[in-house]
Amino acid sequence: MAYHLTYPSGTVLLLVGTKRGLFMLTSKDREKWDIQATSLKDRRVFFAALDQRQGARLFATDNGDFFGTFLRYSDDFGETWQEPRQGIQFSEESGQKLINIWVIEPGRPTEPGTIYVGVDPASLWVSHDNGETWQINEALANHPTRSQWNPGAGGLCLHTIVPDRSNPNRMWIGISAVGCMRTDDNGKSWVFANKNTRASFLPDIYPEFGQCIHRFVQHPTQPDVLYQQNHCGIYKSTNAGNDWTDIQANLPSEFGFPIALDAHNPDTVFVVVEDPMGRHNTGEQFTVYRTRNGGESWEPLTSGLPVGRNVSLGVLRHGMCTDTVDPCGVYVGTNTGQLFASRDQGDSWNLIADFLPPIYSVTATVLG
Amino acid sequence: MMDATGSVPIVKVAFPGALRQKVGNQAAVMAAGHTVREVIDDLERVYPGLRFHLCFETGELRTFVNIFLNAENIRYLQGLDTPLPHGATLHIFPSVAGGSL
Repeated sequence: MAYHLTYPSGTVLLLVGTKRGLFMLTSKDREKWDIQATSLKDRRVFFAALDQRQGARLFATDNGDFFGTFLRYSDDFGETWQEPRQGIQFSEESGQKLINIWVIEPGRPTEPGTIYVGVDPASLWVSHDNGETWQINEALANHPTRSQWNPGAGGLCLHTIVPDRSNPNRMWIGISAVGCMRTDDNGKSWVFANKNTRASFLPDIYPEFGQCIHRFVQHPTQPDVLYQQNHCGIYKSTNAGNDWTDIQANLPSEFGFPIALDAHNPDTVFVVVEDPMGRHNTGEQFTVYRTRNGGESWEPLTSGLPVGRNVSLGVLRHGMCTDTVDPCGVYVGTNTGQLFASRDQGDSWNLIADFLPPIYSVTATVLG
Repeated sequence: MMDATGSVPIVKVAFPGALRQKVGNQAAVMAAGHTVREVIDDLERVYPGLRFHLCFETGELRTFVNIFLNAENIRYLQGLDTPLPHGATLHIFPSVAGGSL
């Protein structure tokens, strides 16, 4: 008889995308964790997300090394996987080749069945039927500046999608190395939203576009407030991205990839800044940094995190997340396969998994 | 181009384990075509979605997919336009990509 996974309401589920497969960790108390490998093994899983708006559909990116890149979904917590009826593929006429799928963003609560996906080469895809069929956003695909877009080291990837919960016509996306873009008309047109963010690797360090944005998040109750981790700085916008303010303050580096916030205390933001050349912790202490005042100052969080001459940990752009419990949990996965968790807003940490393949992403969901 | 009988060449296509689920869990299937490209087209008709595992949207063979006509890699023949004799065997393999993946 087949064994089917079920979890009680309130269970925290972590989806951990790695270089070699998707793993799941579950906990009722965020102290003791059960871990298991899903059947999506040996694939490069850049990202996974659980959509609970209509049941519990698990989406994952299967960026296969050999036989193609696919979005897959599972309705049984990763035991079996399906392919969309009409998956994410460029038209032959476009001349584009799907390289990697980078991010999956379930849509607003008011649009059940709608899911957004960002890929390399930079394009936004949307499904309105729970992931069965996918259409490309034509306005972005045909943006008049597109021929001037350049890739970052990870490719020309659309890696962040923020649908505005307060406005069904507004959405932000992040593309490396193009920057932040916003639509105010439900995807019919896109404008750049990069004013005052730096591109120190270009002759003009404040271009309209060309910034290497790494990740950004939206304040849950003040929808015009955004926090951004960039290749060249940490920024806050209070006007929906019209312009940005540098909030690096006392952080030891401007460079990092992930950023996350506490949904119950949204002036509390977490980053993991790194040595920009080595792409690992600055100094010998692996550190998560927290601000409780919207970026005016930052405090290092180190209790339970490793220290030593050998400690060289990197965290990729989707490698950190928070849960929605109060006090919030914070989860950080490294590109060397360690997964750290805090259940007290980062005050203390535990290593909850080790020896994983390099971790690309961590997402947390409280099961309903 | 046709074989001596005037018919479209029929070839055997052998699949690696990673792709067998896409062809009904078979290790090899028969397909028709004058060229590798036509054989892939024929396979796509019978097993929709298979082509995307072998080729990019642009029609090029994927970077880490190798197809051998008998013992020769088609990249060193005429690629997807390599002509096929009746009764040939095509072997599909993931390439040796160790170190880069």
